[in-house]
Amino acid sequence: MKIISRIILTLLLGGALCVLVFGPRPEPAIPAERAHDVVIHYWEKWLGPEYDAIQQIVNDFNNSVGREKYIYVELMSMSDIDQKTLVATAGGVPPDVAGLWDPMVVQLGSLGALEPLEDLAKAHGITAADYKPVYWNGSHWAGHLYALPSTPAAVALFYNTRIFHENAAKLRAAGLDPDRPPQTIDELDRYSDVLTTFVTDAHGNRHVTRVGYLPMPPEWDWYVTSMPLWFGAEEWNVKSRQFTLTDPGVIRTFDWMESFPRKLGVAAVSEFFTSQGGFDTAQNSFMRGTQVMELQGPWMALYIHHNNPSMDHDWAVAPFPTAVPGLKDVTYCPFDTLMIPRGCKHIPEAFEFIAYVQQQAVMEKLCMLHCKGSPLSKVSSNFLHHHPNPYIGVFEMLASSPNAHMTMQCPIAQEAGAELTAIVQGVLALEVDPVPALERAQVRLQARYDEFETALKRRMRVKN
Amino acid sequence: MTRGETRNLLKGLAFLSPWLVGFAVFMLLPIVLSMYYSLSDYNLLQPPAYIGAANYRALMHDGIFWKSLRVTMLYAAISLPAGLFISLGVAVLLNVSVRGQSIFRTIIFVPSLVPTIAAAILWKWMFNQRLGLINRALAPLLELLHKSGPPWLDQSSWVIPSLALMSIWSVGNTVIIYLAGLQDVPRELYEAAELDGAGKTQQLWHVTIPMISPVIFFNLVMAIIGILQVFDTPFMMTRGGPNRASYFYTYYLYDNAFTSLKMGYASAMAWIQLLLVLALTGIAFWSSKKWVYYQSK
Repeated sequence: MKIISRIILTLLLGGALCVLVFGPRPEPAIPAERAHDVVIHYWEKWLGPEYDAIQQIVNDFNNSVGREKYIYVELMSMSDIDQKTLVATAGGVPPDVAGLWDPMVVQLGSLGALEPLEDLAKAHGITAADYKPVYWNGSHWAGHLYALPSTPAAVALFYNTRIFHENAAKLRAAGLDPDRPPQTIDELDRYSDVLTTFVTDAHGNRHVTRVGYLPMPPEWDWYVTSMPLWFGAEEWNVKSRQFTLTDPGVIRTFDWMESFPRKLGVAAVSEFFTSQGGFDTAQNSFMRGTQVMELQGPWMALYIHHNNPSMDHDWAVAPFPTAVPGLKDVTYCPFDTLMIPRGCKHIPEAFEFIAYVQQQAVMEKLCMLHCKGSPLSKVSSNFLHHHPNPYIGVFEMLASSPNAHMTMQCPIAQEAGAELTAIVQGVLALEVDPVPALERAQVRLQARYDEFETALKRRMRVKN
Repeated sequence: MTRGETRNLLKGLAFLSPWLVGFAVFMLLPIVLSMYYSLSDYNLLQPPAYIGAANYRALMHDGIFWKSLRVTMLYAAISLPAGLFISLGVAVLLNVSVRGQSIFRTIIFVPSLVPTIAAAILWKWMFNQRLGLINRALAPLLELLHKSGPPWLDQSSWVIPSLALMSIWSVGNTVIIYLAGLQDVPRELYEAAELDGAGKTQQLWHVTIPMISPVIFFNLVMAIIGILQVFDTPFMMTRGGPNRASYFYTYYLYDNAFTSLKMGYASAMAWIQLLLVLALTGIAFWSSKKWVYYQSK
């Protein structure tokens, strides 16, 4: 019996060893002829066509500059990239290049998790003059350049021209011009009122069949944190390091959001929201023609073309209306970034790739494939004339405007976004009164920021 | 200990070592470290700085901490008894000898095999106010009452009952444990009860439930532990909304750890969660003396 059990054990161990030695191997990620190159591990968040686009750029690099300088970039796409980058950085094994988002410049920069890039940028001749100020400034924190942009955005009003024309008589009767978009928030409301349609069921319940405009479903943090910009206000003052949630402009913004469920009914708004899918799907209400106006970025052109090509010529873009007389060309400019996490083993080589992406031709290729604007100050006529979004000029103008705003430059911007999202959800359900909710959030977030700053100082003391 | 016994002990330990090493590295060490982190200011990227009980004190003044605790307790108050009683009821029904009994048992068990993420996506659509199957199915009834379908996941007052309802769908595991307990109840007890004139309800109340009370107790303890750790369903279905109405304790803990990078604060929350689980389990154990019957005693 003892012998049998030993034979079985030996066979099992032998089998396991054979699998280890002779078992299947993954295909080598790096071609044999590049085996001696410096390998740059580049993590990106993009999937699908956006991933294919950056893979093209990576291939171009590997076949040109990379081949010349013996650098090979290996691209890896992943979900939850921010958390994985953070954990890998904490563990001392970060990627060489991380494709993250602009709010992380401040969050990770303030925690010392990023390599400053100003000297490398200078050595490569990359300067502020190369960029639209909003993206260059947004790449900095505390005097350091912590990132360079990959694909940027600016947001504007998309409106359905076909529905405008079909309702020309009604719009004119209301004193509105069907041949142009609204230019003030007051006008936006009036256009919206005229273009919103309902059906009433047998029990007298109203159901919205088409809405003129609705504040975006609040899962989009950027929407709630940027909306006050069109009311001439901001939720965070970067100079004084104070939240300004009780600023009259911020309160006015939230009151305005509250006016939609008050006018249309909470149930109708909630029902409308739940019946639409994601912004990039065929269930998006703007693409289905059940929403006439929407605040969105240039990428929508691509999604409209993919999901509802019959609508290709039925929409136009204009700067989003403002609530303050004289305030115009206001936009919010979130952007994707390339960063080098602290502890990266090949900083100069990693920056070679980042610098390559910043070349005008490369950047324009990437941004056209992503259907976004360019972060660079100079834009070629090819970019403007052959971009998949025919209104890219509007987005370029907005991003260059003095009223282009970057993401809240606050180390706890994500928390602030979550707090404000909860308030908007409550406001849209008429469960929360904006003013006391904003007052409470002001106290909580300011305390949280002060605590963050105290912790930062304490860590600095420990370090010194 | 003889030489042979020592050799056997070493062999045993060698065979156990993968588990022992795994437990030490991936469980014991993190548990010990999390205790230290809970007393520290720690953001993963810089070394932890000891701050005493400051994290625990801050939690006591954190409105969202209390809100997430209330949300979790409300969910537990609905989901725990509903889950226990419904699964017991289903198990009793499945214990009755009828044709196709094994098919019914399979039907009840299959949902518990569906991965949580898949179930969450499925139920998100089921709960859709306008297009969801549930409101469509309820439509004739709602027509009679002159009402429209509830906004299941989209209104603060509905979201927790909706998630509790969804949790009942996957009671298959609990039902299987009840069934095993029910099949262990000696037949002669029912026969004796029948001779004494007890009807089916009395048999259930006076024979079945006392005899399977240890199983009920086991399911209760497991449910307490599980319910206080709910995370994946609200994360996938509601993102904690609307208006933080489904912002569960574990979700807030996760956000503190990985969104706000307050690892020390999150560790303090984890320890409070452990104490809470221990306290509630302790109460369950204490109360069990009054209602759990062990045949062997």
